[in-house]
This record gives sequence, structure tokens and C-alpha cells, in this order.
Amino acid sequence: MYPAPFRYHRAESVAEAIGMLSELGEGARALAGGQSLLVLLKIRFDEPTDLVDLARIPGLDAIEQRDGEVRIGALATHARIARSEIAAAIPIVRDCANGIADNQVRSRGTIGGNLCSGDPSCDWPALLTTLDAQVHCEGPAGKRSLPVDGFVEDLYATALQEGEIVTGVSFALPGPGSAGAYVGFKRCAPAYPTTSVGVQLTLSGADCVDARIALGSSGLTPIHATAAEAELRGQTLGEAVIRRAAEAAVAASDPIDDQRGSPAFKRRLIDTLVRRGIDVARRRCAGEQVEVSHEYY
Amino acid sequence: MSWVGKSLRRKEDDRLIRGKGLFTDDEPADLHLYILRSPYAHARIRGIDTSAAEALPGVACVLTGQDVLEHCDPFMELAPGEAAEIKDYPLARDKVVYQGEPVAAVAAETAALAMDAGQLIDVDYEMLEPVLDAAEALKDEVLVHDNIGTNRTWQGVFEYGDVDQAFAEAAHVVRIGPMHFHRYSSTPLENNACIAEWTRQGTVEFLCNNSFPGFAQQLLAPGLRLPVEKVHIRAYDVGGSFGNKIWNYVYMALAALASKKAGGLRVKWSETRSEHLLASGHGNERSYYDTEVALDKDGVITAIKSRHIDDCGAYTRYEPLGCVIWSQVLPATYKLRNIRIDFSQALTNKCPVVPNRGYSRMQQLWFMERVVDICAHELGIPADEMRLRNYIRDFPYETPNGCVYDSGDYPAMLAKAKELIDWDKWVAYRDQARAEGRYVGIGIGTTLDSGTNNFGQAQIMNPQLPFSGNSEACIIRLDFDGNVVVTLGTGPSGQGHETAASQVVADELNIDPAMVQVRTGFDTAWNTYVGHSGTYASQFAVTGLSAVHGACQKLKAEMRKLAAFVLEAAEEDLEFGVGEQGPEVRVKGTDQFMNYWALANLVNNNNAVLDESLADVTLNVRHVYRPPFKVPDVERKFGNLTLTYASQLHIAVVEIDPDTCHAKILAYAAVDDCGTVINPQIAHGQVHGATAHGIGAAIMESFDYDEGGNLLTSTFSDYCPITSMNIPDVVYGNIQNPSPFSYSGAKGMGEGGGAPLHTMSAAVQDALHGAGIIITDSFVSPPALHRMLQAPNREQAVSVD
Ligand SMILES: Cc1cc2nc3c(=O)[nH]c(=O)nc-3n(C[C@H](O)[C@H](O)[C@H](O)COP(=O)(O)OP(=O)(O)OC[C@H]3O[C@@H](n4cnc5c(N)ncnc54)[C@H](O)[C@@H]3O)c2cc1C
Repeated sequence: MYPAPFRYHRAESVAEAIGMLSELGEGARALAGGQSLLVLLKIRFDEPTDLVDLARIPGLDAIEQRDGEVRIGALATHARIARSEIAAAIPIVRDCANGIADNQVRSRGTIGGNLCSGDPSCDWPALLTTLDAQVHCEGPAGKRSLPVDGFVEDLYATALQEGEIVTGVSFALPGPGSAGAYVGFKRCAPAYPTTSVGVQLTLSGADCVDARIALGSSGLTPIHATAAEAELRGQTLGEAVIRRAAEAAVAASDPIDDQRGSPAFKRRLIDTLVRRGIDVARRRCAGEQVEVSHEYY
Repeated sequence: MSWVGKSLRRKEDDRLIRGKGLFTDDEPADLHLYILRSPYAHARIRGIDTSAAEALPGVACVLTGQDVLEHCDPFMELAPGEAAEIKDYPLARDKVVYQGEPVAAVAAETAALAMDAGQLIDVDYEMLEPVLDAAEALKDEVLVHDNIGTNRTWQGVFEYGDVDQAFAEAAHVVRIGPMHFHRYSSTPLENNACIAEWTRQGTVEFLCNNSFPGFAQQLLAPGLRLPVEKVHIRAYDVGGSFGNKIWNYVYMALAALASKKAGGLRVKWSETRSEHLLASGHGNERSYYDTEVALDKDGVITAIKSRHIDDCGAYTRYEPLGCVIWSQVLPATYKLRNIRIDFSQALTNKCPVVPNRGYSRMQQLWFMERVVDICAHELGIPADEMRLRNYIRDFPYETPNGCVYDSGDYPAMLAKAKELIDWDKWVAYRDQARAEGRYVGIGIGTTLDSGTNNFGQAQIMNPQLPFSGNSEACIIRLDFDGNVVVTLGTGPSGQGHETAASQVVADELNIDPAMVQVRTGFDTAWNTYVGHSGTYASQFAVTGLSAVHGACQKLKAEMRKLAAFVLEAAEEDLEFGVGEQGPEVRVKGTDQFMNYWALANLVNNNNAVLDESLADVTLNVRHVYRPPFKVPDVERKFGNLTLTYASQLHIAVVEIDPDTCHAKILAYAAVDDCGTVINPQIAHGQVHGATAHGIGAAIMESFDYDEGGNLLTSTFSDYCPITSMNIPDVVYGNIQNPSPFSYSGAKGMGEGGGAPLHTMSAAVQDALHGAGIIITDSFVSPPALHRMLQAPNREQAVSVD
């Protein structure tokens, strides 16, 4: 219940945060909402020497849309994103933000922290992969932007270098004829999903011009189901096509055996969720209002 | 006008909601205890090095198995035979026997510091093979406690009627394969906590949230090598117990030892949630083998034989009482008279079990409900019809083992539940859905909540035990200032004792409940108590309120005597009520009265005016209620084991999504009969809570261990208690068949007997029977249903001759 002793530092700017993290070295961690990090510290799974609190850095929580691009600051909380105009305009974002945990966690947890946890159970990495987002980082070596696909490199490991932080993410505003859905299955609100799936379709009538599919809680990292996308792209969405896409997504997954279920059970869920996601995305493309998020026990 | 029967707002809520409760962890202490626990299920301790921990500034002392050996005796065991020799100390000595077992403890100035120091303790373990399955454990190949030479804690055959003859005459015999009731528990909002102070006078002062302190005191004193009068316990508000907090005396002892070693400073221990899940006590896990059921040609069950093995984890503690307690509901709600159940209990390298809401009885009730449903499905009899053919109908009813079911009307509950849920509509829906190939099922769960137990049943388990009967105490006094003050021996954990007791007193004195002050909480120095005092086993409505009621009679007799003298009236002409000057005793039909202050003043202040004949009047009386129990016949395992039998009947309609394997509840009805209802709102709340708890147990909550004995569900991420979002709308109904055995007709009803577990198993069975599935496990989560759908089991699980 009590973390091992650590030193606490508050950064007032991105530059200061980077300076502190670089200077303090390996034992230092950035702290945002604390909803992943503090949990680990309290059960002493991680015992950092220093925490550099990013939470007060001004401007890092902005949510804005400009020139067809959506930009979300690293410190934007799940709750603020869920209430934002962006979420109102892009239902798949709302699906994801509202489906994360409970009110308490949503009010403190941030999109940047969610991404940087490197936790395959987290929802934002899968959602951002579905939207082909860019991750904006800043570190001792300057600024860089990386595709989100591949940002989480391994279980709890990201592409961030020492001293580097995420300042925000961005993605293109889905164009006309493009819509998506983020669906999951979970035991209860405060538990991580058993599995989750993001689907973004660009349709021309029943023809699929483009498709993006990503899976959360389906392996050791978020999974970009490219083979499943290929099954849809250029095809007329019919039962056989959707079945093949779902099968390809299942084939791309590598779920672990845990309290949420066996790999076989999770694969069955992935199959189901891909179909559900495609169905909702398709209806949304057609202009229908559909509310989805996670299904609970 | 009667207050009993009204939904009076809970008096305690104002205090509790404003944060003015008296919870243990709110109290300051000098030192905080951290417990270092075993990471292994079974390992020898080769050595412990505490030097680095002891050297840390701010650490007062470190305790290991060596300290407990020096300062403690093993806790008393209830078991007879070999299991009586189990050495249960607050810390492991040479061997750890379950993951999470306390190995060392550190007392330091802050909780964080204590934890830091705890991490510096170096324990050298030699891992041993664990035994995790109860049936396996009975082979005694791996021993949990080497010194007793066996893992069997108890074995006995409960046989009544003529089983062989019933089978010989049966029209059908149904054989059912192994079944399993899974391990889960309750998750009280407040974890275990205690503060202990070993005083210079040689007493130990505890503040704790133990829910059966009368029992804890009797175990702690010999354990700490103290005479019982030196162990002082206080327990006030308790944030939920469900039976789980009965056994936290083990931690109380540890905190006391730390206080002793630290020179008498006050030591606090406050459990974390992970500790609670890992090691505070799980509910009893049970397996059922060789089940055979004899039925006549109409589907009336005439006999059952089976073999049950209970898994009690690594220590016995309250066990093997559970080996007898289930027999309070031996035939469940059914009228069969021929029963043979061979019951054993085994130790395993898992967390010890503790009483948990529905303790040991729901495991039996679940078994009987499974039997009824499986037979119904196999013989093609609708589940409702099957129950109507088998329900007990005449009350009071003596079961084959001598228990007396006081009152009830199971067919009426079924009818009411069917009406509430709109049965015909759902049957049509189910049949339609089934024709479309969907999995829709309707399940009925009938259950009993046996309350106010006869501790004499412990002697069936071990004839040497010095317990019998049951009791509760109440003191009521009319204070000098005219206040009516009631003190109870119970520490409520959400049941509204203040409110219910006020309602009873208000009726007796014909005053407003607001005029009654109720002091709940167990307090050896300042409150009243008996050895049975506590909040457990669905008994307050009977034991607690009967004590209150009895005390009221004594107080009223004194008040009458006093008033009759002063008002120069005959006692028969007096009545109780509220006048212009508040509560009073008055002469009927006149303007003559004495208000409470005036009455109390006569005894406490102005007493020279009183006559000799009033010398005994103190206006401060104690009543101990004792239910009319006898010690059971130990040889025949026969006798009345509980006073009241509340009943519940639940119906669920579920649809199983073949894609997610989730049994979604489409409709849910719960009908409750707890006799005369004291406070409908509180009773309704208990039903809701028990329903939520049971649904959680059925689909979400399970303590799972891997082959190494590691608990896989030791945080809320893995062990998911039910949340409001998972709870279906519950349609609630109530019928009242007053108990002839309690003064008010009320019955205890806090446990709900696990009705939703039976109901969910039944509903899922109904949905999946056509798919070749027999529900043989009480846990029907989506992953579990997925497994079943992958491998239909009907061929192996059941056969009918
Ligand atoms: C009960 C519970 C249930 C949950 N359920 C879900 C769920 O269903 N779905 C889900 O997606 N999440 C869930 N979460 C996790 C939650 O969403 C966290 O908010 C999120 O994972 C971390 O964000 P944070 O701001 O709290 O980051 P922190 O906990 O502060 O940090 C997490 C990690 O990221 C690093 N970090 C944080 N910000 C930055 C940055 N800007 N740059 C570089 N590194 C950074 C930290 O050093 C740390 O390693 C749950 C959490 C809890 C406690």
C-alpha cells in the first residue's frame, strides 16, 4: 500500500521535465495522472528513486482541431477527452474515452500516461493505432514524431529514449465516408478489458475504400491487424469478407491466459468484437447514431 | 400504533454518512504493523534474517516465529482427533503452508516505514510440493501439517431414514458426476483492522472490527497466555463483515505481541485489500462425489446419497464446524426423508476458510438445488413443477435430522416470484428463442437462511466442546435525566441495529423511536455482552431484539411499580405513553402521570420518599435472551440446530450470447420470507445486497490458484467484485410467515443463503441443457461457460436408470 521512498520533483515546463529526467537517470519516472504508475509503486512492483511530476506543465492538456488534424496534449485526461468536441464529432474517440475504467480513473488518468505505460491492456494505444496517429515526443535530442504503430515495443516498453517524454498525439480528422467504432468486453468498469477492438472504415456505398483495425488486450503489445484490413480493403462488405477479416484479426492476435479468460475464449471474443466493430463502423459511415463502448458482465 | 413493521429511516446513517462512525483505522496509534507474508504455498523456513530491518531508524521491533513460540500458545482447535494437534500461531514457525501466511511482522513509527523495514527481512525458503485439491489431499501424500500425519480434519456420515430401501423401491435413479462449489468470499468495504495495547497492568486492550468478539476473547486469552478477564475488547462500527471478520483474532494476537515487545505502545494493524484477498479468509470450497438420487414415478425425490469433501485451506480456525453447520439445512426445502451423506474435510495449501455469508449451508443448498434441477431436466419435468412436487409444505416441520423448520410457504413464494417476473411471458420467450437456436434459460433458486444457531451442534463435530445454546444480552436503563438508554452486545456491520432496537423499545414504551438512545458495539468494559455476542449467523432480529424486548419488560415492571407507589394507583391502571412533558407513565383515564425524569429522579435523587418495597428498583436492568435449545444427540447427529428458517426464492431469466458466452440476465425476481418484518426498508436492503453478492459470486468472483499454489486473483483487477453496473434490476417481493419461535415472529435474514448462485446455475442449465451441458460448477462466468460450450459434459455428468 505504501510506495518505497522516492524523491518528488515538479516540472514547470517541458524543457525542465526533460532536464530533470535526463539528469536523474534510470531511476526516474515521469508522473502524469498516476493511475498506472502509482498502482505499481503501491504494490512495489516498481521502486523508482525520483518522480518528475508533469501534471502542472501548462498547455500540455490541450485538445484541438486544426486544418483537418486533431491534436491531443499528453496531459488530457480520459474524462476531458470524453467530454470534448472532438469526442462528440468522432464517435470512436468517445467510445474509447468513456470505456476506460471508472469515473475516478478517467478523471485523473491521461492519454499520454496511458500510451507510455506500455500496457497492452490499455485502450488508447489500440484506438490511436486504429486512427493511424502520430506520437509527438520531446527529449534531450530534441523533438520527434513517431507513428503510434510500434510505439509500444514490448510489454511495458515503449520507443521513448531516456529523458524523453510524450507531449501529445495527433491524427487526421476522419473524412467524409469514414467512421469507426471501439468496442470491448470487460468484467466490470474498474477492470481492464478482456479484449478490445478498434475499427475505422472508409466506405463508398458498400465498398470498403480503406480500413484500419487494431486490437487491445490481445497480446503483449497493441496489435495492428494489417492482414484483417487487407481482407476488407477494396472489397464489398459482405458476410464472407467480414468473416475473413475477423479470422485474420484472430490470427494476428496472441492473447495470454489469465483471469480474464483462456486464449481460446479471447480469440472467440476478438472474432466477435471485430464483427461488432465493423457493423457499428459501417452504420456510422451511413450516418446512423450508434452508442457503443465496452460490454460488461 | 406500532413502529415495528415501519420503514423507519436508519438512525445510524446520519452519524455514518457524516464520517462520525467509530472505525478502528480512524483511531491513532503509536506504532504501525507490517506483516511480511509467504510468497509460497508450501515451503520450509530455513532461516530468517531480521537484522537490517531492526537497524532501520524508527523500527520498534520485529517479530518472527521465534517470538510467538516464546510468548504464545497455539490457538485452541475446535477439531477432535489428529486435527486438534494443528499448531496455529499468529506467525509461521518452521514452515509456511499457504501463500500469504504471515512470516514476520515489523512495528514501526509509520506504516510506510514498517513496510520499508519489512522488505529488508531476508527469509530463506526451501520450496515444497503443495497439495491444492481436497480429494487429493485426503490421500495424505503431501501433508499440510506434518505433525498430525493426515490432511483429514473431520469425517462423519449423516444417515437418516432407510436409504437402501428407498433406492430399491425407486422408479428412477439419477447418478450425477462430480460437482464443485467454488471458492469466493466477501469484500467488505473495510478490511480487517485492530489496535492492541499490552498495558503495564498486564491487560491487553483491543480496538478492532472483529464481528464475534465474545468468541475472539475466549481464543485470544489462552493464546496470549492470559486469563480471560485480562483481554479487553472494543468493537464499534464495522464496515461489513459477512462472517469474514470472525477470525481476525489471529491478527489481534500479533498486534498484541508487537505491543508487548515494544514496551506497551499502542500498535495498529490495518489490512490492505490485497492482503485481504490473499490471506484474510475465503469461503468454503466443496466437492460432491458419487451422488445418487432415488425418485418415484412422479419425480418425487425419495432418497439421496453422496460424498462431500470440504476444502478448509491451510488452517482449521472456525472449522471443522462447517462440517456440521450445513446439516442445519440437510434436505434444503424438500421433503425427502432418506439421506446418506458422507462428509469429510481436508486441509490444503490454500488460504484458510472463514465463515462467509451463507456459511456452509449455501454449499448444501446449492447441491440440493442442482440435484433437483438435474433430475427435473433429465426426467423432463419443468423446474417449477419439480419443486412443487418436492417442497415441504407443513410447518413446523421436523427434518430427518431433527431440525425444526419453523414456518414458511415455498409454493406461495414460487407463485409470487412467478407473478413478479411475469413467468408465462418468459416461458413463451424462452421457447421461441430456443426454436431460433438461442440459449435462453429460466432458473429457480430456493434457499434457506437458517438463523440463531444452537452452538450445541459443535458437539456433533467434537463432543468435548463446551458450547451449547445461544444468547444475547441487553441493558436498558432510564437515566437520571429521563433518557431511555439501550446497550447491546452486538457490533453492527450495516444491519441497522440502532434503528431496529429503537423500534422495538418505542413499541414497548409507547414512545417515539427518536426518544430511545441505542449504544451498539461490543465493549467488555462499558457495554453488556455474553459469549455469543456478535453479528453473525442471521440472528440479531431474534437474539438481539429478544434481549431488547425482554429488558423492556423488566424495566416496565420497575417503572410500573414505582409509578403505582407515587401515583397511588394500581399497577393494572397504569399505561405508558407520551404526554405534554414527554414520555410518561400515567393512570388510565385521569390526568395523573409521572414523566420519565420524575420517575428517574425518585430513584437517583429524591429517594428518601421511597418505600422499602421499592428497594430493588434501579431502573437499570439487564436481560439475557436464551433460545430454547437442547444439546443435540451427538451419536445420531440429531437435534434442532437453528431456531428460525427464513426462506428466499429467486428466479432469473438469462440469455447466453454464444459469442461472448455471457449469461446476460434479462429479468430477475427475489421473494423473501423472513417472518414478521421489523423494518421493511432494511430487510429489502439486505435482500438486494445478498442478491448482488450472490450474482457476483456466480459470474465474477472466484479465488483461483495455479498449480504452484499461487493465488491468481489477489487484487481487484483479477478478483472482480460485482459493481452497480453488473447488477440487474431486481424485482422484490415479500411474504410473511411469522416464526412461532421468536417473540415477534421475526427471523434472522442477513445471509440470503446464496440464492442467486443456485438461481444462476439453474438458469444457465436451463439454457444449455439442450446443448448437452449439465451445470456442475457454481461458477458460471463467461470463460467458464466458454469452456463448457467447447466440451459438453452431459454424457459423463449424469445418467438415469
Ligand atoms: C482501476 C483501474 C482500471 C483501469 N482500467 C483501464 C482500462 O479499462 N483501460 C485503460 O486504457 N486504462 C485503464 N486504466 C489505466 C489508466 O487509464 C491510466 O490512466 C493510464 O494507463 C495511465 O495514465 P496516467 O496519466 O495515470 O499515467 P501515470 O500512471 O502517471 O504514468 C504511467 C506511465 O507513463 C509514464 N508517463 C506518463 N506520462 C508520460 C509522458 N507524458 N511522457 C512520458 N512518459 C509518461 C510514467 O512514467 C509511467 O511509466 C485503469 C487504471 C486503474 C487504476
